[in-house]
Amino acid sequence: MSRRPGIVVAGVVLALAGCGHDHGPPRVKNLPKPELDEQKKPILLPLRGGSARSTRIANYKIDARLDAARHQIAGTETLTWTNTGASAVDSLPFHLYLNAFKNEKSLFMRTTHGEMRGAHASDSGWGWIQIDSLMMGGVEQVTKLKAQDALDETVTELPLAQAVQPGQTIEIAFKFTAQLPEVFARTGYKGDFHMVGQWFPKIGVRVGPPGLEHWECAPLHANTEFFADFGTYDVTLTVPSTLVVAATGVLVSATESPGGTRTLTYRAEDVHDFAWMADPYMRSTSGFAHVEDGSVKVVVWYRPEQEAFATRHLQAAIGAVEKFSQYFVPYPWSIMTIVDPPVDAAMGAGGMEYPTLVTTAGDSVFVRPNMRIPEYVTVHEVGHNWFQGMLASNEVEEAWMDEGVNEWADVHVMADLYGARTSIIDWGGFQAETGALRVAITEDPSSLPSPIATAAYAFVDNDAYGEVTYGVTMRALDTLEHEVGGTRFLAAMKAYAKASAFHHPTGRDLYTSLETQLGTDLAWFFAPVFQQVGGMKLALRSASCRAAHPPRGVMGDGAQKKVVTETEAPDAGAWECDVVVQNTGVVHVPVDVELRFADGSTERKRWDDRGAGAWERFTINRSSKLVGVRLDPDNKLALESPIVKQYRLDGDGAASLRAAARAASWTQTLMQLVGP
Amino acid sequence: MRVSLGELVGAGTRALTRYTGTLLAVFVVQTIVVTSAMLATAAVLAQVFSHLPIWDDAVDGDLVSLVTCVRFAKANLFACGGIALGAVLLWQLASWFLVGGIYGVLAQRPEGRAETARCFGASGASTYLAYARLALCAVPGWLLVVFVFATCTNAVATRIEHALTVWDLLGPLAIATLPALAVTHVLWTVTDYARVELALRHESHAPSVLATYFRTVAFVIKHPLTLLHTGLGWLGFLVITLGYMYLANGHPMFGAEGAVTLFVIRQGVSLARMALRFGVLAGQLELGGTRPLPPRKVDVKAEPKTA
Repeated sequence: MSRRPGIVVAGVVLALAGCGHDHGPPRVKNLPKPELDEQKKPILLPLRGGSARSTRIANYKIDARLDAARHQIAGTETLTWTNTGASAVDSLPFHLYLNAFKNEKSLFMRTTHGEMRGAHASDSGWGWIQIDSLMMGGVEQVTKLKAQDALDETVTELPLAQAVQPGQTIEIAFKFTAQLPEVFARTGYKGDFHMVGQWFPKIGVRVGPPGLEHWECAPLHANTEFFADFGTYDVTLTVPSTLVVAATGVLVSATESPGGTRTLTYRAEDVHDFAWMADPYMRSTSGFAHVEDGSVKVVVWYRPEQEAFATRHLQAAIGAVEKFSQYFVPYPWSIMTIVDPPVDAAMGAGGMEYPTLVTTAGDSVFVRPNMRIPEYVTVHEVGHNWFQGMLASNEVEEAWMDEGVNEWADVHVMADLYGARTSIIDWGGFQAETGALRVAITEDPSSLPSPIATAAYAFVDNDAYGEVTYGVTMRALDTLEHEVGGTRFLAAMKAYAKASAFHHPTGRDLYTSLETQLGTDLAWFFAPVFQQVGGMKLALRSASCRAAHPPRGVMGDGAQKKVVTETEAPDAGAWECDVVVQNTGVVHVPVDVELRFADGSTERKRWDDRGAGAWERFTINRSSKLVGVRLDPDNKLALESPIVKQYRLDGDGAASLRAAARAASWTQTLMQLVGP
Repeated sequence: MRVSLGELVGAGTRALTRYTGTLLAVFVVQTIVVTSAMLATAAVLAQVFSHLPIWDDAVDGDLVSLVTCVRFAKANLFACGGIALGAVLLWQLASWFLVGGIYGVLAQRPEGRAETARCFGASGASTYLAYARLALCAVPGWLLVVFVFATCTNAVATRIEHALTVWDLLGPLAIATLPALAVTHVLWTVTDYARVELALRHESHAPSVLATYFRTVAFVIKHPLTLLHTGLGWLGFLVITLGYMYLANGHPMFGAEGAVTLFVIRQGVSLARMALRFGVLAGQLELGGTRPLPPRKVDVKAEPKTA
C-alpha cells in the first residue's frame, strides 16, 4: 500500500517522459504513381523557343541500389560529357565528395574538425565512395585514376591517352560503391532515414575564356559547396519496398522488383545535381504554385509527428516558388520537393539545396507559430533553385553569389509572404523584419577581416565565412537597392537573372549586368564593398548648440572703440548649432542626416562623401534648439549598424531606469529565494 | 506533541499581526538593497545608452533594437548582471542575520519597539556565525542538487532538443527539473528547521551546527508536515509572482514615472511574498519548538586528586 503512490508517481513521470516517436516496424508502401505523363505533365514547364534551357554538357544515367541495412549504394553510371570549350582536354577530374567523410585526413574533416552547423561526425559512421570500374571506349581505366592530393580523396583524376577535342563528346561508364556516413554535413543516414546527396562520381567544370579553359574541381572544404555543369539525369533507384523515396526531378516509372524491392526511375532536365531521400515513415503533403508559364507541384515530405510543421513548410514553399518566379525568372521545372528531415537528422541533413529538391529544418516546440524560422529555412532553400540552381555560380570561388544574393532575395520574399514588419517574428508582442533582424545579429562588416569577394576556402574562419557570405552580402545589396531605388534595382536583378539563368555567372557578370541595367558606373560601390576590408564607420562626431547673439567684445578702434557686453548684445532667442558627421570606413555612400529640433520640427541634409573628406560639418541657425540627430533616417544603409544612427543631445535616463527597475524586480525575486 | 498544518498557518498569521513592524523593517532593508542595485544598474545603462534613442525602443520591447543594444553593450550588460549577483550575495549574507533576528523575536515575543529591536539584533548577532557554518554544511547538499539536475537534464537533453509539441516537452522537462527541485525543497526545509533549532537552543544547549544539520535531516524526513508546510509557502510565492506577471502583462508603463510606478507596484508584490515567508518562518518556529531537546554540553571539571 505504502509503495503504491510511488509507483503511480513513477508511472506518471514515465508517461510524461514518453518513449519517443514510435513509428512501429517499417511496412511495405503502395507503389507510387509516376508523376510524368508524357503528354500531360512535362518535366519542364513550357519554354518559348525551344526545349533545352541549358547547354547540357554533363549528362548522367545512373542505376543505383540501396542496401538500407548497410546504408550502402551500389551503382552504375554512364556519363556523357561534351567538351564545349575551345581547347583540348587531356585529363578528366571527378568529384568523389563522399570521401570527405572517409577519415580525418580529408580536407573537409581537417577544416571542420568533425563539426559543422551544430552536427558532429560520428566515430562509427564514416562514409566513402569507391570507383570499382571506369570504362572508356570499352577499355578499363580504373587503375589510371590518381588522387589530386596525398591526403584528400574527394577529387580523383583520369589522365587521357587521347585528348578530348573541342566539340567532341565522350562516354564514361562507372561502377561504384558508396557508403553513406551517419548524417553529418548534408548527406548520410540517421536510423532508417537516408538523405543521399553528392553520392556519385561527378565530373568537374571547365571554366575560363575560350582557348584558355581550365578545370574547376575543388576538393570539399568546410566552407565550400558545389559547382557542376548542367545536363540531364536519368536515375533508376532500387530500394526496399518499405521505403518511400523523394528525388530530384520527376518520377517517370515505378515497378515492383524481386526480393521485396521496387525500382523507381527519375528524370531531371537542365539541372546540375541529383539528390534523393529514402525513409520508411515519411508521408507527403502537396499543393500547387502558380507561375507565369503554368503550375508547379510542391511536395513536402515529413515524418507524421512533424505534420504541423509540414503545413508551414508547404505554405512557405508555395509562396517562395511564386515570389521568386515573379522577382526573377519563372520556376522552370514541374515539381518542387521539400524534405523535412526527422528532428534527430535535421542538424546534419536539414537546410540544403539541390535542384528541384531541398531539405528544410527548424521544427521545434520552441519555434512557436509566427516565429517563422522554419518558413525562412524553406524560403531560403527554395530560393537556391534560382541562385545556384538556375544561376549556377561557382559556390567554391564565389559563395556570396548564391548564398548572399539569395539571402537578399529572401528578405523580399519573406516580407511579401508574412508582412514587412513581421516577416520573421510576430509572437508574444515581439515583431521583427527579416533583414533588420539579420543586420542586428550579424557582426559589424567593418570588423570582419575578409571582403565579400573571397573564395569560400580562403576565409579566416567558418564564422567569418558565414557572416560575410550571407549577412554582409545581403546588407550590401540592400544598401545598393536603397541607393539606386527599389523598383530599378529589382528590375536590374530580374534582367541579370534572365540573362544568366542556366549559365555559370560570376561576380563580374553581376556587376556588369547591374551597371548596364541601371545605366550608371557602380565601381565606387562594388570595389570597396565587395573587394575591400573596412566597411562603413559612420558616426556622429559632435553636435552642440549655443545661443545666438550679436557679436560681443571690443569693437572699433581709437575713439570709436567700444566694449559690447551681454547687455548690449543679448541673446537673440535663436540657436547656432554645429553637427559633425564622420565616416572613417572605406565604404562611402551618400548619407541623409536628419536634425530634430526642440519645437518638433526637422531638417534634412544630405552628405555625399564620395571623393570628399571623411567628415562633414553642418552649421544650422534656428529659432529652436537642436535636440537630436539621426543619420540615415530611412534606414537605407543596411551596411551600417542602427546603433550609430540615432542620437539625442541631452541624455535621457528614463529608459535605463525602466530597464533597471525591471532587473531589480527579478533581482529581488532571487533575493527572496535565498533569504527572507 | 502533534501539530497540525492549520496550527502552523495560524502561527504565521499571529506573527504577522503581532510583529508587522519587524516584517516592515526587514522589508525596508531589502528595499534599500534593491533600490541601490537598481540605481547602480540604471547608472551603468545610462552611461552607455542615455544618448541613444534606440535603447528606448529596446526597453519598449522592440526585438531588433533590443538585439542591437545587447550586441553593442555586452560589457555594460554583464556589469548589470554583476550588480544583480552582488545584491543577491549581499542579501544572502544579510539573511543569516535577519532570519536569526526574526526567529529570536518570534521565539522570545518581546513587547515594545525598543525591546523588539534589541531582541532582533541580539538574536541575529548571536546566531550569525552558526548560520554561516550551517550554510557551509549545506554545500554538499547543493552540490547534490547540481548533480541531480545535470544528470537528469543530460538524460533527457536530446528529447528536449527534439521536442515538437508542448506535450513532447513536458515529460522530459519534468524529469530534468522535478528531482532537483524536490531535493532543493528538502534542503531548503532542512536549512530552515536547522536554523530554528540553532535559534531556539543556541543559548541553552549550544548544539554543534553539523550535528544539528544531520539531526534536522532526520527530523524533516520523519515529519512530512515540515515539507508540506514549507512547500505551501513556496507555492504561495509562485502564485503571487505568476499572478503579478499575468496581471502586468500588456500594461507597459512608459517614461521615468512609469519606471517609478512599476517599482512601487513590484515592491508591493515583494512585500506580499516576504509576508508569506515571514508567516512560514513563524510556523516553522512553532513546529521546531516541539522537537526533542538536543544533548546538552556539560563541562566536567576533574576534581583534583588529594593525597
